[in-house]
Amino acid sequence: MFNLIRRDVILQKKQLLMFIPFILFFIIMDAHPALIFLVASIFIPFNTYAYDEKAETNILLNSLPYTRREIIASRYLGAIVYMVLAVGVTSLALAAFNKSFSMTDIAIGSGLFLLFAALTFPLFYIFKPGYISAAVMIGFLFLAGVGPRIVLFIAEHTTAITDFIASLSTPALYTGAAAAITALYAASWGVTHIIYQRKAF
Amino acid sequence: MENVVELKNVTKAFKGFSVKNMDLQVKKGFVTGFIGANGAGKSTTIKLMMNLLKPDAGEVKLFGLDYKTHEKAIKERIGFVYDGNVFFEGLNLKDIKRIVSPAYKNWDDIIFSEYIDKFQLPLHKAIKTFSKGMQMKASLAIALSHHAELIIMDEPTAGLDPIFRRELLNLLQELMVDGNRTIFFSTHITTDLDRIADYIAFIHGGELVFNQSIHEIAENYALVKGGVELLDRDTEKDFVHIHRTSAGFQALTDNMKAVKHTFGDMVVIERASLEDIMYNFKGGMHHV
Amino acid sequence: MQIIISNSSKEPIYEQITNQIKSSILAGDLQEGAALPSIRQLAKDLQISVITTKRAYEELEKAGFIYSIVGKGSFVAEQNLEVIKEKKLKVIEEQLSAVITNGKELGLSLDELQQLLKLLYEE
Repeated sequence: MFNLIRRDVILQKKQLLMFIPFILFFIIMDAHPALIFLVASIFIPFNTYAYDEKAETNILLNSLPYTRREIIASRYLGAIVYMVLAVGVTSLALAAFNKSFSMTDIAIGSGLFLLFAALTFPLFYIFKPGYISAAVMIGFLFLAGVGPRIVLFIAEHTTAITDFIASLSTPALYTGAAAAITALYAASWGVTHIIYQRKAF
Repeated sequence: MENVVELKNVTKAFKGFSVKNMDLQVKKGFVTGFIGANGAGKSTTIKLMMNLLKPDAGEVKLFGLDYKTHEKAIKERIGFVYDGNVFFEGLNLKDIKRIVSPAYKNWDDIIFSEYIDKFQLPLHKAIKTFSKGMQMKASLAIALSHHAELIIMDEPTAGLDPIFRRELLNLLQELMVDGNRTIFFSTHITTDLDRIADYIAFIHGGELVFNQSIHEIAENYALVKGGVELLDRDTEKDFVHIHRTSAGFQALTDNMKAVKHTFGDMVVIERASLEDIMYNFKGGMHHV
Repeated sequence: MQIIISNSSKEPIYEQITNQIKSSILAGDLQEGAALPSIRQLAKDLQISVITTKRAYEELEKAGFIYSIVGKGSFVAEQNLEVIKEKKLKVIEEQLSAVITNGKELGLSLDELQQLLKLLYEE
């Protein structure tokens, strides 16, 4: 299983050279630290899908002594591993440029990444190759553009929920969000697992 | 005799095509050639063997084990070569080895280097720059470097020049000196099989027509030529397919003994090549 | 051991192998107890399938020319050359009788037949 996670680094050797300049660009542009954490985390796991959406890759992985359960688990665990690494590297880069950031930024960046991953990973196994990038782009735009408006709309019209959230203390809010994201991530893993079990190559 | 692969009553249906009630055994220590026209179901059958497809009904067992409980143990013992390149085409062989080798408990770097030398493959060039023959050699080097007991190949010779095809056959023959190895490979170039195959499995329209040793085939199948006046409802029943012309008939039989008994010296009986057999099944079975 | 296979011959490959090994044994080229190449090695060397050499060895075993020990290989069996020679002689006698019968039908004399035989023998 570790091998499956490690393979992403071998596959993306060249892209990884882009990784540091990519982060530096965002830092120099003075982007919000939370956004930098999010973008940095997305880098490796989503690059992987450029390979994994191909039928050949699935034929290869499934012909090697791996089970389908492991292949999916490596995606979901790998995303967390690479997120942690990306957060580490990004923190160092931010520190090197004397930019201040807080644990809250890391939490928000990671939280958004996991949310995004949870929503998009299953799509890679539902759609046919070629449609996936489009689906993910739409997903991203949806999350980034329309998402907040819907949240605002809900917030304005369902005061019961907003009142409830507003009434929570900060620690409770974070714990609640973390729990919700964890649950969503786990559910997404489960769904992808089931889809992948049934997939034909 | 021990079977390495056993398909029992396997059915897999797709839109407009299906593999039906397939019973197929691959015998240990021998080369089984898997023949059939394009679209007959060769790749589907191989995918069922590799667990890339799951059967709608029936049972697939390799080394007597079930994929449900022993998927990893089974795949440890298989070396696979597919028609197209399945390796990440942007990577070089060294990186591909770094990805593939940790997957196998029995990976053997020494053997791998031997094959790389033997096949004269560059380690530092991207796979996509390889010719078809080199890609095939690269797949083969990887398939043979973990002491696999069963080598499954889907159309390994398709698109290769005759010299390399012969080299490949020589290599496979060397592998067979070790009696624990089994080779199963599909092809539509039947002359590849004349030399090395011990058993021939023939699939037509998603159904297995036969799986016989080359000797059984030579004893059962034959081309029969004679005058059309010899044919009637009774005498035709031993033919798979009959081609009538004004000059006489030519037919394929799967029961040479019966034909000899029926016609004696009135017909000419010739050896049927695998190609003859495949060709005569083209229009479907014509048992009257 | 030399075996030459013809792919264009009408004789099946396994028969070509059995016949050639038989003659080597009868001619004394292969001595009693001599080890034969393994089925798989021979298949590789002759570039034919394993099942063909296997069948050839099986036929030789049935005919008593060789014996096999699992895990060790195949060896030339003890040949009762006298018996084999006698059998062969009998076959020759039968064939000659047929020749004589045929000859008599044509009215050939013994001298003429002997001359014919001599001519063919020296060919």
